[in-house]
Amino acid sequence: MRIGTAKENYLHDAALFDTNVQRAWMVALAAALLVLPFISGQYIGYLVCLVLINIVSTTGLNILTGFTGLVSLGQAAFMGVGAYTVAILEINAGTPFLLNLLIAGGAASLVGVVVGLPSLRVKGLYLAIATIAASVILHFVFANWTSVTGGVSGLTMPPASIFGFELVQPNQVYWIIMPITVVMLFGAANLFRTRIGRAFIAIRDRDISAEVLGIRLLRYKLLSFAISSFYAGVAGGLWAYFFRVITPESFPLMMSIFFLAAIIVGGMGSILGGILGAVFMTMVPEILKMMVGVLSPIWPDAVAVMSPVRIIVFGGLIIFFLIFEPDGLAEIWRNIRRFFHLWPFRT
Amino acid sequence: MSIFHKIAKRATAVALGAGLMVGAAHAAEKKDIVLGGSIPLTGVFAFAGVGIHAGIQDAVKITNDNGGIEGHKLVYVPEDTAYKVDASVAAFNKITSQHDVNLYYGDSTAFSKTIAPELDRSGKMLMAGASFASELDDPKKYPNIFIPGPSYTDMVGILLEYIAKEKPGAKVGFVHSDTEFGRDPVEGAKASAKALGLDMNLVISTAPGGVDVSTEVLKMRRARPDFVIFHGYVLAPIPEFITQARSMGLKTKFMGTFWSMDNSMVGKMGDVADGFMGVMPYNYYYTKADNAPMLDKIRSMRDTYQSNAYMQGFFSTMMMAEAARNTVKAGKELNGANLKAGLQAIKDFDTGGVIGVPVSVKGNSVPVGRVYQYDAAKKQMVAASDWINLD
Repeated sequence: MRIGTAKENYLHDAALFDTNVQRAWMVALAAALLVLPFISGQYIGYLVCLVLINIVSTTGLNILTGFTGLVSLGQAAFMGVGAYTVAILEINAGTPFLLNLLIAGGAASLVGVVVGLPSLRVKGLYLAIATIAASVILHFVFANWTSVTGGVSGLTMPPASIFGFELVQPNQVYWIIMPITVVMLFGAANLFRTRIGRAFIAIRDRDISAEVLGIRLLRYKLLSFAISSFYAGVAGGLWAYFFRVITPESFPLMMSIFFLAAIIVGGMGSILGGILGAVFMTMVPEILKMMVGVLSPIWPDAVAVMSPVRIIVFGGLIIFFLIFEPDGLAEIWRNIRRFFHLWPFRT
Repeated sequence: MSIFHKIAKRATAVALGAGLMVGAAHAAEKKDIVLGGSIPLTGVFAFAGVGIHAGIQDAVKITNDNGGIEGHKLVYVPEDTAYKVDASVAAFNKITSQHDVNLYYGDSTAFSKTIAPELDRSGKMLMAGASFASELDDPKKYPNIFIPGPSYTDMVGILLEYIAKEKPGAKVGFVHSDTEFGRDPVEGAKASAKALGLDMNLVISTAPGGVDVSTEVLKMRRARPDFVIFHGYVLAPIPEFITQARSMGLKTKFMGTFWSMDNSMVGKMGDVADGFMGVMPYNYYYTKADNAPMLDKIRSMRDTYQSNAYMQGFFSTMMMAEAARNTVKAGKELNGANLKAGLQAIKDFDTGGVIGVPVSVKGNSVPVGRVYQYDAAKKQMVAASDWINLD
């Protein structure tokens, strides 16, 4: 049972990890992340990379929707901007991948600021519709600006390389995806220890009151869109390095809905919620496939018969979590932690 | 000879015989040939994926019932992808990590393009798929992939050849969806039409599956084409186009390509389906043909109508099995390069009625097809031309 954590100064109070147990777990996680590519096969490595990319994009959307309260269905389109930027730079300029990712994030940020302008006048579902419109416009650009984007055929790009060594396999691309994801997550967590993060939260809770308190809505709403889109652009760039084929159909509206579902299921307004939501939405379908695969030796047609059932089960799990824990998986995790902290007491 | 000597002699003979039998049994246990599949059993392409899956299953069963591939059992390992590229690649990684895969079936053009570098890197397998994209019909760029039929450009080429024979100098319209799938054969179609002396005076692009096509039909009325080819659709908006065109008094003949040619899908168009034509690389499930033992076998295994997707999956498996058979017979290792050579060695292959003429592989495709026309009275697509082989 944890009696309490005494904070002796403000810095200690604002620390991301305030107990030795938490720090130990973080060290263990870091060790696991470093060892993973050497002990896992290509399939697990592939899934881990996909989860990490989705975590980056989900965290970005969480900053915008979960922390600032601005609903967006354009996250996939911003990822597309990032992906195409990386592909164009990699094919035409051959610049280092870190620079490409930064530029991709910047490009997506600029687009995000433009798309975010309606947020100054509309909120909620109306803003969501505006972001869908932006999605449609960006898809049109991807499909028709043939000289730059390759049109409907898209672009095929070479792999990223570190000191001439090409990163082709999932367990190799992991070495750029993982560190960037960790940096982005720490960045997002730190953001909400700053004035900017608190301003976002104030806007989410009551934007009129926030304005009365001196928070400039124009500046901070657009900043939220910019940061969220930056995350999406970097995620799109990582996606491009991972798959190396980008077409207009790579970033459909359904993908934006996927990320929105991830933050709702994971828990809006917390970094852990974004992580858990991305992991859930990416891994649960694969885990359900593995469970169906277990039946295959005894039931040869299990895959064909059980695949639609699997989709229904996945939808049912989402509904189940939303009904029994509307605050998402992050709240379930907090409840479990609280149980162990207070054990043998209950409250 | 003493009795012990006789017993010893007989015992030795029995032991030798038993040893030979065990050795023969080991020699008979040949390594399985694995056919992996990223199959869209759910999602937007499930209507085709379920058919493709059934076709592959049946082709694998028939192959194994007939002794496998030179004694090697063909094993099919599918995974559902919901027609998403990331799920398709995940399925590919999963299957290839668990099995030594020699043959693969992919579910989309995007997947084929994404996985092509990995196929080239590993050099282990030959891949076919649901895509007839013209871009894939390039042996240099995609050495480990083939198209189990004509490419979309070839399909439109077959239709244009038919039109040129039926009505030289005819006016042709081309209506396609605004997707990679839809735009694939546009430039090829324009070039073929010009070469055949046809006047392609109308090219329209629409959103896939959209239903409001009134402005496009007005363009059609102005152009008054003799034939209109639809490409990049499964069903909608073809019925809307035809209905509105007929109401405007247009006598245009409407045609489609492979994915809009399934008999049950065309039947869903209702009254406007009558006379709808298109190109199919394969015979239909119900086609009655002389000397079509494979079609008869399919009908004995499946007593209900099987879609054109089924025929596509079935034919893909036949071709991959034949490529593997050629490789094994040549005593070569089962790898991508040898399997591709085994595929390209397929000349005048009798498909047992799946395709009505012997087929050969040219480049990365099998450029053969036939024009069919929907007969509303029979509720069936019936052959409207002979088999057309493109060079």
